[in-house]
Amino acid sequence: MFAEKHAFLQGTLELLILKAVSWGPVHGYGIARWIETTTDDVLRVEDGSLYPALYRLSRKGWIKGEWGVSENNRRAKYYTLTPKGRAQLTEQVSGWHRLAMAVTHAVNSRHAPAGAG
Amino acid sequence: MNGKGRSVKGRLFSGKPEREVGEELEFHIEERVREFMAAGMDAESARRAALERIGDLERVRNECSELLEAERRSLARRDWFGDLLQDLRFTLRAARRAPLFTLVAVITLALGIGANSAVFGVVKSVLLDALPYGEPDRLVRVSATFDSGPALTGALSAGTVHDIQERQRSFSAVGASSSGGPDAVLNADDVATTVRLAHVSPDFFRALGVSPVLGRGFDEADTATDTSQVAILSHAVWQQHFAGDRNILGRTIQLNGLARTVVGVLPRDFIHPVRRSDVYMPLNLAPVLQDPVSARGSHFIEVVGRLDRGVALEAAHAEMVALGADLSAEHPRENRGIGLQAQRLHTTMAGETRTPLLVLMASAGLVLLITCANLAAALLSRTIARRKEFAVRVSLGAGRGRVTRQLLSESVLLAAVGGAAGLLVAHLGVAALSGANIEALPDYAELSLDGGAVVFTFALALLTGVLFGLSPALTAGRAEPQAVLRDESPGSSGSRGSSRTRGILVAAQVALCLSVLAGAGLLTRSLLLMASQPLGFEVGEALSFNVPLSNASHPDASSRILFNDEMSERIGSLPGVTAVAVTNFLPTRVQNSNSVNVVDGPPSTDDATPFILTTGVSEDYFSTLGIPLVAGRLFTTADEINAQPVAVVSQAMARHFWPGGDPVGARIRVGPNPESTPLEVIGVVGDVRSSLAETEPQPMLYMSLRQGWWGNRFIVRTAGDPLDHVNAIRAELAAYDPTLPMAQVTTLRDVVDEALAARRLPMLLMLSFGGLALVLVCVGIYAMFANMALAREREFGVRMALGSSRGAVATLVLRQGALWMAVGLGAGALGVIGVGRALESLVFGIAPLDPLSILAAVGALIVCAALALAVPVVRATRADPVVSMR
Repeated sequence: MFAEKHAFLQGTLELLILKAVSWGPVHGYGIARWIETTTDDVLRVEDGSLYPALYRLSRKGWIKGEWGVSENNRRAKYYTLTPKGRAQLTEQVSGWHRLAMAVTHAVNSRHAPAGAG
Repeated sequence: MNGKGRSVKGRLFSGKPEREVGEELEFHIEERVREFMAAGMDAESARRAALERIGDLERVRNECSELLEAERRSLARRDWFGDLLQDLRFTLRAARRAPLFTLVAVITLALGIGANSAVFGVVKSVLLDALPYGEPDRLVRVSATFDSGPALTGALSAGTVHDIQERQRSFSAVGASSSGGPDAVLNADDVATTVRLAHVSPDFFRALGVSPVLGRGFDEADTATDTSQVAILSHAVWQQHFAGDRNILGRTIQLNGLARTVVGVLPRDFIHPVRRSDVYMPLNLAPVLQDPVSARGSHFIEVVGRLDRGVALEAAHAEMVALGADLSAEHPRENRGIGLQAQRLHTTMAGETRTPLLVLMASAGLVLLITCANLAAALLSRTIARRKEFAVRVSLGAGRGRVTRQLLSESVLLAAVGGAAGLLVAHLGVAALSGANIEALPDYAELSLDGGAVVFTFALALLTGVLFGLSPALTAGRAEPQAVLRDESPGSSGSRGSSRTRGILVAAQVALCLSVLAGAGLLTRSLLLMASQPLGFEVGEALSFNVPLSNASHPDASSRILFNDEMSERIGSLPGVTAVAVTNFLPTRVQNSNSVNVVDGPPSTDDATPFILTTGVSEDYFSTLGIPLVAGRLFTTADEINAQPVAVVSQAMARHFWPGGDPVGARIRVGPNPESTPLEVIGVVGDVRSSLAETEPQPMLYMSLRQGWWGNRFIVRTAGDPLDHVNAIRAELAAYDPTLPMAQVTTLRDVVDEALAARRLPMLLMLSFGGLALVLVCVGIYAMFANMALAREREFGVRMALGSSRGAVATLVLRQGALWMAVGLGAGALGVIGVGRALESLVFGIAPLDPLSILAAVGALIVCAALALAVPVVRATRADPVVSMR
């Protein structure tokens, strides 16, 4: 679903990750599951794209990974949002809203483009 | 230091990126498998489905690992840089708080590091830099070794050179040169100047791997003609006398009155490997080889060889030694006692400068070590004074490593500033050295501080900073914050351990200083001895100059004698001139030696024919120079070319050949030709030192210039400053013959001084290093005991309150001082032995462990140390019991 090279969708994945970790420490699998369940499986994360995205965000300093122990007593890497990441999230969420609204507005429009027809 | 190991997080992070990513992905897959199995899949298909969701697992893992690694790298960089900035801030703050300490430390470091980089600059240009030849590492000089005689020259005979060229297998090219001949007169644009001439074989430049920048080198055809018609100019002559004329090739120049065609110009940096030469002409050995006597009897050719690929110097040397032995066997009369050797060309060109330079480098290193010990002790005291600051920082959460690192950064930064200032000191030093135009350094050495020396300086500064900062930094890092913060006493000076460290540092300084001082003492005493030993002639006020006569204008002995007589008379009649003599070599600079055999005398005790320094002189030579006649008579004008050949010998020569007997009337044969007419010894004169480096005069043989020994070097004894008479003499010479130049004008005093200059320089440097070391050590001793006295002030006060006398308290301080001094002197004794051994070849006339020099060094050290001790001791005895007890 999230094609790797698609910048638009990659940006969307990053936004979803930031949102997913904003509640508190969560591991990669948890992030994938969260995206799937909250979007009612509309957006299915390709696991192969999720992890590089996580590392990219970590490198940007927006999220931070720390090793911890999972519910079933396994070592797992938990991600949290950094202050810098939180500011990003706020900014990207409002950006997304503007974009979504603009696109919605456009697809619902009844005006033809100038010169058409 | 990077982000690793700084916190728990860091430590958990520290696994390899691949493993960490692998573990994370594995966890993910297991969770997926669990999810799918819960949805009813069997284990195998669940795992397959989970892997499908990942896609290309290998690619994902690699991409993630790379990202993680990049993240860690930038994190480490950021941490390191952040810490550095913090260290810098702390350092500046610390420096502002103790400006005097910082200033003194920087000056000390600048002197210590500057001395090192200046000496290194010289060492690098003389010993390390490549020679201006192609592949200079493969170049060797082949020279003769003499079993006896003064061995002033390692030149070879034409026959030997021919045999080397025929038989050798070690070299890809063998070049021959003769550079020791008389100077030539070059007439260019109506100006006559003297130039140094070298005759070289066609292979000479090829062997050196040098090609002319203009024109060509010599080829076989150039040497085939009887008289050489062509010449190659050095870059300097081309620039100075021909204004760098690009059309110089093919131009005719006048050398000694004969026309030569210029066929080439050498590169700017080219230098003759044996003797700086200005004009090069082809060397033709064929006529010499045909002369039965001089073929193997005259040694005047220098040989350079280029080692063939894969041939080691040792192999070439072994081959030459074997060849030398063969030649001695084949030509027992001429080659007995003469061997061959091959040395790296660089070694022979660096010559006698090598040992003094290495000694100076080592001394500068010792001074820097003293600087380090000194600053280490000072920093230790400061660290102890600042220990509260560190304790607070540690208890506020700064890691111990962080405190250690901060202190180390402080000392390294201090050293870096010191190094920068040291570079300035070195620059000034090297500029002074090259300004002094020291004859002692080889011609090829261009003195300057290049990139290599700058890198060396800063590497040295870094090392210095770590060296003197390490011990204080570790001490500070080890401190227990609670103990330090609880301890309220104002002056207690740290632990017993740190006071012992400081004691050791002082003892080390004393030991190092003693070594440097002993070295300086040895060189000084040796030089004083050289300078104060009677020369055997009177220096006084005397001018010397040379008039190079060309074969064209003065082809034979009689024309030269006529010139000498007429010029002597003209100069002698000038006002202020009291005596005039002519010779071919100035005293102390005789460079000519001949084999001497006594005719009908007892066979000489050793196998080889001795080589004796030989000078041709005019009748007035001995009286002009004040050399006394001991027996017989001196030369007269009657001893001319057709009369019985006569000789005057020195006392040392008389002792050598006629021990206990009378040499006057004896007959000797000079030179290799057994058929030559023997000379009759007519007189014995006082000894003249042949070299200022030797205190014992060598045997010396004098011949009359009238009997075929050519020389036109005038010695003019004057009233008042000899240089005041130069113009009058020049005018007289010009009036006699305007084409004749007056060359190598100098005074006898300068001749003597110059001979000592080569030794004065290392001595002066050594003395200044010694002085610097002494000052540093005194500061170190003072600082240590001032500190100790301050720390124990309360104790001393109590002692005096309880009835101790001031003397007893002083003894207490002194005893501790004397202990460390004694330890230092003991260790220094070992250093002195090492220095004595290192200086063995530089010290003349005294034993390498000359007691007087060493006692002087110890005495100077003890006196200065006592002065440095006195202040703290006096302060200790002034401790006021009342103030202390309060």
